Amino acid sequence: MNATHEMIQVINLRKKFGRLVALDGVNLTVRRGQVIVIIGPSGSGKSTLLRCINHLETPTEGEIWIERQKITGNQRQLNAIRSQIGMVFQHFNLYPHLTVLENVTLAQRIVRKIPKSQAEAIAMHHLERVGIADKARFYPAQLSGGQQQRVAIARALAQDPKIMLFDEPTSALDPEMIKEVLDVMLNLAEEGITMVVVTHEMGFARAAADEVIFMDYGKIIERATPEVFFSQPAHERSRAFLSQILSH
Amino acid sequence: MAVKETIEAKQQIASPQLTGAEIREKIRLFPWWTVGLIGVFVLTAHLILTRPSYQDAFNFIRAGVGVTVQTTLVAYGIALVLGLFTGLGRISHNIVIQNLGTLYVELIRGIPMLVLIFFIAFVGVPAGVGLLNQIGEWFSQIGLQLIAQPLIQLENSSVPMTTRAIIALSVTYGAFQAEIFRAGIQSIGRGQMEAARAQGMTYWQAMRFIILPQAIRNVLPALGNDFVSMLKDSSLVSVLAVRDITQIAKLYAGRSFQYQEAYVTLAVLYLMMTVVLSALVKWIERRVRQDERNA
Repeated sequence: MNATHEMIQVINLRKKFGRLVALDGVNLTVRRGQVIVIIGPSGSGKSTLLRCINHLETPTEGEIWIERQKITGNQRQLNAIRSQIGMVFQHFNLYPHLTVLENVTLAQRIVRKIPKSQAEAIAMHHLERVGIADKARFYPAQLSGGQQQRVAIARALAQDPKIMLFDEPTSALDPEMIKEVLDVMLNLAEEGITMVVVTHEMGFARAAADEVIFMDYGKIIERATPEVFFSQPAHERSRAFLSQILSH
Repeated sequence: MAVKETIEAKQQIASPQLTGAEIREKIRLFPWWTVGLIGVFVLTAHLILTRPSYQDAFNFIRAGVGVTVQTTLVAYGIALVLGLFTGLGRISHNIVIQNLGTLYVELIRGIPMLVLIFFIAFVGVPAGVGLLNQIGEWFSQIGLQLIAQPLIQLENSSVPMTTRAIIALSVTYGAFQAEIFRAGIQSIGRGQMEAARAQGMTYWQAMRFIILPQAIRNVLPALGNDFVSMLKDSSLVSVLAVRDITQIAKLYAGRSFQYQEAYVTLAVLYLMMTVVLSALVKWIERRVRQDERNA
């Protein structure tokens, strides 16, 4: 493997919650510009893996490297590394007491010390990118779920991240709002942003993923291109999972 | 905006002529108790204006209002700071800080306020002065005379009772407010802290910019109610001979033997202050709710 292209490297990652083993020896390499979609049944450890990558969960064992910087056990650099990883949550987690514009500028200003006017220009650029610039002065509660999630994506993009993590970004949305969010994500994928996406949207996986990772019981069961994975999955468990979700 | 529109819509629907049922409903919802309250104020005002004995009592006792208000305001300000930091300490991951915070809260909650006021004034403050003297000695030994001298010269008897009263009130209320702040912070969903940390903010940046602004807004009514409670509890400092309205009323009653005049005036003065403050708290509460609706 060419070291310069490795964006994320996960080495033998284990995570336990009490007695429950959420991640059981996960190894994963994500190269620059890759779009990785992680799928699997609930409780398979997909979200935990994502949350370990930016250290929202502290791994029990193993190492995580972001661009040749070790993130595990690196408390001092943690905030700096995190500021380069954009995260989009299932429940948006916008800051309800701040306007859309303030949501997108706050971290720029206090983490990266960017002056207000410049931060606002950056924010407006990204809000336009997700098609919601006209709501800049609104509060999150005044927006629909789909609009809120697009703001959350703009907020993450405004960090100028090297990596974007998406943790089931459409699972909390009403069906008619899923498309607007997926469209934004598809655009980002085409622009060559490194993305790791946990989702149940198989259509998105087919259209955007360079590789699909199937997880179950805290392990990576299968890793393949979407063409291969969806047409001829190699493992029994992948087949069982796919037949369950695709049979409707 | 939305609220105004609904009100207008309602007004349009309501016919100018009220039906019997509507009138009964209005009578049922009318806050009659305020009439009673106003009656008490008017009656007292009448007594003060027409009876010289009440007038004397009122003129004498109202001189203490300043001390009561000032003691409450200063103690409340200190209690807010003390409460905020103790509240933050109670949820700290540092077990020493967390346990110290909890110990403080539990100690205060387990002792009657009157006893605490005696204890802090006559045991706590002298012990604190002793400690400062000791620290002064240490500074003196390592040659820092500039800091040492004022500490060594500090005497227990030079700490006025008003100061002791303020310390006692703020230490007591600091513990109550710590619980308010803690509950407020814990009422904010985990996702907020996670989102902030994921953006690279430090714990304290996330607290300062994301968690506390939301938490404090949620606890504003509770903090306001505490201010009203504190104003009433400030009457307890009269046991330290601080010349607040309670103490002055007591002095007046003892000297003139006009107990009825003294204590009616005293009670009505407290009532007036708390009614005004409660209205203010309710107004703030309504404003906050309205903001939430608009947000």
